[in-house]
Amino acid sequence: MIHPLIYFWLLLRASLITTGGSGNLPILHQDLLALGWATDRQFAEALAIGQISPGPTGLWVICLGYLTYGLPGSLMALVAITLPPLTVLAVDRLYRRIGDHPAVQGFVHGLSLAVAGIFLVVIAGLLRNNGVDGRSLVIVLVSLGLGLTRRVPVILIILLAALAGILLY
Amino acid sequence: MSPPSAWQLLRIWFGLGLQSFGGGAATLYLIRQAVVERHGWITEAEFTRDWSICQVAPGINLLGVTILIGWRIAGPLGVALTLLGLLLPSVTITVILTALYSRIQGLAVVHAALRGIVPATVGISLLLVLQLVRPLLTTSRGEGRSSLLVSWLLLAGSALLVALGHAPVVVVLSGTGAVSALFQWYRRRSSVPAERRS
Repeated sequence: MIHPLIYFWLLLRASLITTGGSGNLPILHQDLLALGWATDRQFAEALAIGQISPGPTGLWVICLGYLTYGLPGSLMALVAITLPPLTVLAVDRLYRRIGDHPAVQGFVHGLSLAVAGIFLVVIAGLLRNNGVDGRSLVIVLVSLGLGLTRRVPVILIILLAALAGILLY
Repeated sequence: MSPPSAWQLLRIWFGLGLQSFGGGAATLYLIRQAVVERHGWITEAEFTRDWSICQVAPGINLLGVTILIGWRIAGPLGVALTLLGLLLPSVTITVILTALYSRIQGLAVVHAALRGIVPATVGISLLLVLQLVRPLLTTSRGEGRSSLLVSWLLLAGSALLVALGHAPVVVVLSGTGAVSALFQWYRRRSSVPAERRS
């Protein structure tokens, strides 16, 4: 059973201590899977819907909230991702004073590297759970390639992949 | 330029939220176009500075930049109106899409489609990781070989600790940040006398 308060706290904490719309992904993935409150599949679905829908891609957490805990889950997710960015007003003041310090710049640099490194681990897990075969690897590479061109909108890549899935599986 | 009325502010950000298909870069472009070019509420330099502050602030960068700009235009009311305007349409559509999806997720055709969509999401996420990492490594390369080596070690180390060691993510994140902070501090302290000597 999902405990609403803890669930909300986990969503909030993950966004509070990371930056960017997907920075919270590695923490949420570990926390929610450990409690059995979300599955790899739900993460993959939420990320996909988040890519298709308008607004910041960080809204994927709202999809995750809905898939794991219904409408209350999506509302809690909305609050949990809206509150942390408000601290930008304090960061703005603080950064004027200490932003030039090498240790501050170093910390942000290291944090960003770790987010990227752990992100790789999480997406490798998503792929493994979906079933790794020649077809899926081709789709990974083709969508990466299409994305690299910067000419093809993400929503089109997702739709093409859906079509490929229907035809291949 | 005259400051906007509350209604105008809400309406403009509602429009941004509604049009912002295609993720972060597209939305940021629309916001910049509206507040810098079309209405001149903030300058180009302020916009760039605000965006870089958001890179280090918690949570979604686009919400952060919306909040900073809202604050500059009209204080707390500005923050409330711009956030509401941006989120109302995009969150509503996101919830509706998810609800529709959860209705049809049992169908065989949806399963097949999803087996194609998940690898595509992985591909797009790889692209995201590349975009995250590239500027970081470029900065390190500019600082010299030891900085670049440390960055690669931190990147690979954090991934391996989580993948093989199943270390708690929060610990790995803050630990990596701390190691990098110490390294940068040490590097600058030891490089200052060298510059003075030359």
